Amino acid sequence: MDILFAALLLVLAGGLAPLALHRWLSAAKVAHVSLVAAGCLTGLYGVYAAWGQSTPVLFSCPWLHSLTWSLSLDSLATAFLPPIFLLAPVIALYSYDYLDAVEHAWRTAVNHFFFSLLVAAMVLVTLADNMAAFALAWELMSLSSYALVLYDYEREETQRAAHLYLLFTQTGALLVFAAFGLLAQSTGSLAFAQIQLAPQAAKTAAFFLALIGFGSKAGVFPLHIWLPHAHPAAPSHVSALMSGVMIKMGVYGILRLYFLLNDFNPLFARTVLVLGMVSGVLGVVYALSKREIKRLLAYSSIENIGVIFIGCGLGMVGLSSGNRIMAAFGFAGGLLHVLNHALFKSLLFMGAGAILHTVGARKMDQLGGLMKTMPVTGRTFLAGSVAISGLPPFNGFVSEFLIYYAAFQGLGLQGPDFLLSMAAIIALALIGGLAAGCFTKVVGIVFLGEPRREHAHAATDPGPTMGAAMTLLAVACLGIGLWPEPFIRFAFAGLRDLAPLAAVSADVLGAVPHNLAVIARVFVGLLLALTALRRLLYRGKPVSQNTTWGCGFTQATSRIQYTGASYSLSIVDFHRPFIKTTTKFAALVRIFPGATQYSRKVEDLAEIGLHRLLVRPVLKIADKLRWIQHGHIQLYIGYIVFTIAALLLVV
Amino acid sequence: MESVVSFGLALLLAPLFPGVILKTKALFAGKQGPPLLIKYFTLIKLLRKGSVYSASTTFVFRLGPLISCAAAIMALLFFPFAGTAPLIAFHGDVIMVFYLLGLGRFFTIVAALDTASPFEGMGAAREAFFSTLAEAAIFVVLILFFRMNGALSLAAYFSGSQPISIIGSQGALLLLVIVALFMILLTENSRVPVDDPATHLELTMIHEVMILDHSGPDLALIELGAFYKLFFYASFIACLIKPPPLADPVANTLLFYGVIMLLYMVVGVVESIMARLKMDLVPKYILTAFALVFFAVILTLEIV
Repeated sequence: MDILFAALLLVLAGGLAPLALHRWLSAAKVAHVSLVAAGCLTGLYGVYAAWGQSTPVLFSCPWLHSLTWSLSLDSLATAFLPPIFLLAPVIALYSYDYLDAVEHAWRTAVNHFFFSLLVAAMVLVTLADNMAAFALAWELMSLSSYALVLYDYEREETQRAAHLYLLFTQTGALLVFAAFGLLAQSTGSLAFAQIQLAPQAAKTAAFFLALIGFGSKAGVFPLHIWLPHAHPAAPSHVSALMSGVMIKMGVYGILRLYFLLNDFNPLFARTVLVLGMVSGVLGVVYALSKREIKRLLAYSSIENIGVIFIGCGLGMVGLSSGNRIMAAFGFAGGLLHVLNHALFKSLLFMGAGAILHTVGARKMDQLGGLMKTMPVTGRTFLAGSVAISGLPPFNGFVSEFLIYYAAFQGLGLQGPDFLLSMAAIIALALIGGLAAGCFTKVVGIVFLGEPRREHAHAATDPGPTMGAAMTLLAVACLGIGLWPEPFIRFAFAGLRDLAPLAAVSADVLGAVPHNLAVIARVFVGLLLALTALRRLLYRGKPVSQNTTWGCGFTQATSRIQYTGASYSLSIVDFHRPFIKTTTKFAALVRIFPGATQYSRKVEDLAEIGLHRLLVRPVLKIADKLRWIQHGHIQLYIGYIVFTIAALLLVV
Repeated sequence: MESVVSFGLALLLAPLFPGVILKTKALFAGKQGPPLLIKYFTLIKLLRKGSVYSASTTFVFRLGPLISCAAAIMALLFFPFAGTAPLIAFHGDVIMVFYLLGLGRFFTIVAALDTASPFEGMGAAREAFFSTLAEAAIFVVLILFFRMNGALSLAAYFSGSQPISIIGSQGALLLLVIVALFMILLTENSRVPVDDPATHLELTMIHEVMILDHSGPDLALIELGAFYKLFFYASFIACLIKPPPLADPVANTLLFYGVIMLLYMVVGVVESIMARLKMDLVPKYILTAFALVFFAVILTLEIV
C-alpha cells in the first residue's frame, strides 16, 4: 500500500508541476509526462507486489474525527488498477504533442492538473473500502473529468456537452449515494464489510439504485446519453482516458457492490445480462449509423460496455444457478475485456484525435485515402479496428472467447437462464458481425480509397509522441492476442478474493489459454508463409499501376465513391423499430432535374425518450411555477423563514 | 500421419468440385461445359501472370487476398474429413474457426473499399450486412449442437459416443439444420439465389464485384480461399448426412468425397433452376435459415 501512496503522490506531483511551470510550456509537459509515467510504473510495481499476497492489503486512518478513511487492495482492485496505470502514461505521452497550442499554455497546464487528479481519483475509487472514501473518490473523479471535458470552454457545443455530462454523473452519484444510505441505515456502519448484513429488501433496492447510478457512468444503453455528446466535445486524449478507463469504474462499482451484497439473486443476474445485450446490439447499430468518427467511437464504447456486462451477467447467472465454471469464465471474460477495451478504444480515440489535429475534419464522409498520407495513424488504427471487432489474432477475441465459453456453459441450465444464455450467444455473434461492419466502414471510408475533399490531401502523420503512443497500444493489442496466457491468468486472478469464486480459479482453465495462443501463432505463421510464397510468385512478373477499373466508366472522380452513410444504410434500416431515421429527399422530377439535396438523420431513441418523458414534463411544471420568481427580495427572505419554520415544526 | 494426409487431400481436391457445379449447370443448359479440371487450369493461368494495381490502393489491398486465403486454410485445419482426427481440435475451436473466417471477410471488405470504386463499395456493404445475419444463424447451429452432444469442437461433433448424424436418434431435427446450413452455404459462398457468380452486371454482384481489381497471383489466392471456404461448408453438411463410417479408411474417404460431390451437384441444380433473389429479399432468406435452426433448438427443449 505504501508503494501505491508513493505512486499517487508522483501522479499528483505530475499534475501540480505544470501549473508551476506553465510559462515554459515544454518543460511543463515534460514534467507532467515523466512524473505521471514514474507514478504509474510505481503503481504497477505496487500492484505486482500485492499480487503474490493471499490476503487483501488493508489501510485505514481516521479523518475529520467522525469518518474513517479506509482502503484495501484485494484481487478485484488489482484487476482494475492495471488498465489505469498502463493507459495513463501512454495517454499522457500522446498529449505531449497533441496539446501543442503555445497560446493556451495555462489551459494546457490546468488540463494536465485535472488529468492527474482524474487518474488519482480512479485509483482511489478502486481502492476505497468504505462508503465515505468511495463517495469522495467518486465525486473527485466525476468533477475532474467534467473539468477535462471543458477544455475548449468557449465553444457552446462543449459547454452543453459538459453540462449534460455533469447532470448525468451527478444524478448517477445521487442514486449511488442513496443506495449507500439505505445500506448504511440498515447496518449502522459505513464499512463495506458490513454491507452483507443488510436485510433482503434493502439489498435489492440498493442494487437497483446503484445499477442505475453506476450504469449511467458506464454508459449502458438507455443511460448512455452523455457519452456521444461528451466525447466529440472533449479533446481526444481526454476521450481516450474517459472512454478507455473511466467508464469502466461504473462496471467496477457494480461488481464491487454485487460481491459485497453477497446475495446471488437471479433477478440481479438477469437484469445485468439483459442490459448488456441491449446495450451491445443497439450500441453497435447506432455506431454504424454515425458520421462523426468520435461519436461513432462513443457508441462503440456503449457496445463494448454491453459486452462487458454480458460477461459479468453470465458470471452472475452462473453464481445464482450454482454453475461455478460458467461464473468464473463470465467474470474473467468481463475483466479481461475491461483491459482489452481500454487498450484498443484509447488507440482508436488517439487515431481520431490525430486526424482532427492534422486534417481538422470530424465527418468521415469528408475524408478518405489517409492511409497513404498518415501511415502510422492508419496502420495502428487498422490494428485497433481488427482488435475491437473481436477478431483473432488480436486481444479482443481472447476476452470474447472467454465470454462465449461461459455462455455455452449456460446452455446446460434450465428455464429462463437457458434462454438468456442462448440469447447472449446470438447477441455476441450479432455484435461481432456488426462491429466488423462498423469498423470496416471507418477504416474503409476514412483511411482507404481516395480523399473526398481537398483538405484530406494535405494530411501528415502527427508528432512523434502521438505516433509512439499509438504504436505502443497497437503492439499491446497484438501482443495479448499472441501471448494470451498471462493475461487470462491475470483475469482469473482477479476473482481470487471473491468468496464464492475462491474455489474455482486456475484449475478450470485447463488448456484454453494455451490453445488460443497456439492457434493465433499458427495463423500468423501461415500468413507469413503465404506472404513469402506470394513474393516468390511475383518474382520476375510484370507489375504495373493503373486507375481503378470503373466497369467501363472512365471519368471517375473521388466523389462517386461509396460514402459511410451509403455503406451502412441497409444494415441500419434493418434495425428500424429500434432506430429512428428521418430522410429528407426531394424526388427528381421532369426530364432535366435541377439541383437536389439528400439528408439523413439518425436519432437516438433513448434521447427522444428522455426528452419526452422527463425533460418536457419538468419544463412544463417549471413554467407553471414561474410566478415564484418575481424578484422581490423581501418575499424570498419570507420563503426562507417559512421553510425553516415548517421544517422545525415537522422534523 | 493420417490427419496430415487427409488435410493435404482436402487442400488438393477442393478446387476440383467447383468444376462439378459448372458441369451440372452445363448439363442443364444442354452444353458440353468446361472440363472438370477447369479451376486448376484457371489457378495455373493466374499464377503465371503479373498484376496491375490501382493507383488508389495501399498495402491493405495486397493484404486482403493473403488473409482471406490463410483464414480459409486455417478453417480446414480443424475439420475431421471423413472421420479422420483433424490436426488441431479443442473445446471451443468452432468459435475460433468462424471468427477466423470473419477475419478473412474483414480484410476482403477493406481491400474492396481500398480501390475507391463505387461498385466495390456496394459489394462490400452487402457482404458486411448479409454475413452478419448468416453468422448469427451459424451460432444458433452451434447452440443446437451443444445441446445435442455437449461438444464445442468440429472434431467432437462427429465422433465420440453420440455423434451428430442424420441416422442418430435426433436425426429428424437435423433435417431442419441441413436445409438451413445449405442455405447458409449458398449465402456465405456467394451462390445463387443470394449472389450470382456468373452474372455480367457488376451492379448486382456481391463477392465477385469486391475482387474486380485483383489480378494475377493475388486473384489466384482469393479464388483458392473461396474454394476452401466452400469446401469447408460442404464438408460440414456432408458429415451430417454421411452414413456411419466404414472400417476401411480408403472406402470411407471415397464415401465422404462422394457425398461432397453430390452436394456440389445440388448447388449446381439450384443454380440452374433458380433465379437470384432481389437484394432486399436476401435478409429474409437468411432469416428463414435462422428461424429453421432456432425452431430446432426449441424442439430440443423437450428432447434433452
